[in-house]
Amino acid sequence: MSHYLFIQSQDPFTETRTHHQFDLIGQLYDAGHKVAVLLVQNGVTPARRGAKSDLFDDLLRWGVTVRADQFALAQREIDHADLKDQVGVADMDLVIDAMLAGHKVIWH
Amino acid sequence: MSDTKTLTFAFMEPPFESERTVTFFRLLDAALDRGAGVRVFAYEGAVALAFARQQPHGNAVHHRDSEEEDHPLTKDWIAALQEKARSKGIGFEWINCGLCVDERGVNDVIEGCGRGGPPDLWRYASEAHNTLTIGTR
Repeated sequence: MSHYLFIQSQDPFTETRTHHQFDLIGQLYDAGHKVAVLLVQNGVTPARRGAKSDLFDDLLRWGVTVRADQFALAQREIDHADLKDQVGVADMDLVIDAMLAGHKVIWH
Repeated sequence: MSDTKTLTFAFMEPPFESERTVTFFRLLDAALDRGAGVRVFAYEGAVALAFARQQPHGNAVHHRDSEEEDHPLTKDWIAALQEKARSKGIGFEWINCGLCVDERGVNDVIEGCGRGGPPDLWRYASEAHNTLTIGTR
């Protein structure tokens, strides 16, 4: 089992490639790897309560750990209370800690 | 031999274009906060991040002069990270891809940023505790 952290900067509403990116995340999770996602930049937009993205919501439903960058949220005036229940809040420290722990960190 | 772990970052985004640049610099800052050494291999448009002749400018539409506009310059952000690393006694290295520099004519870089090529990225990645590549897409 490997540890993966995906830095998700692209959003499913404007970037069609996120379809494949979310697929990859889900497949790695299905394969038994420890997978986490940090949403940054416009990547935070599907985390807003009420946002409709089936592929993103599947990741949450399956139990993939998803965090949203608090800086990106603040820039977009998204409060923590506006996030879907399964989405937590984090900062860049999450990425650095994963890199220092030897996890596979991948930019999307 | 120091037990400081070194992280390598490969980045290709030009300055003043994308939110990725801000995220990238936040990552470098967070790495230094965690006490990690940092090595950056800048290629393609990112070689202009360290261009020494970047200039702040005013904003006539908003009636602000240069000082009021306080336009952020990436060369200053790099210098600030260099200083932060020095103050913490940890390494901060920056190499620009020489071919990419020549293509863009941005040879005049701030002190502490070097010139190299893909073998340096290989060396950085081989010696690093971990490496993150941030693609343009």
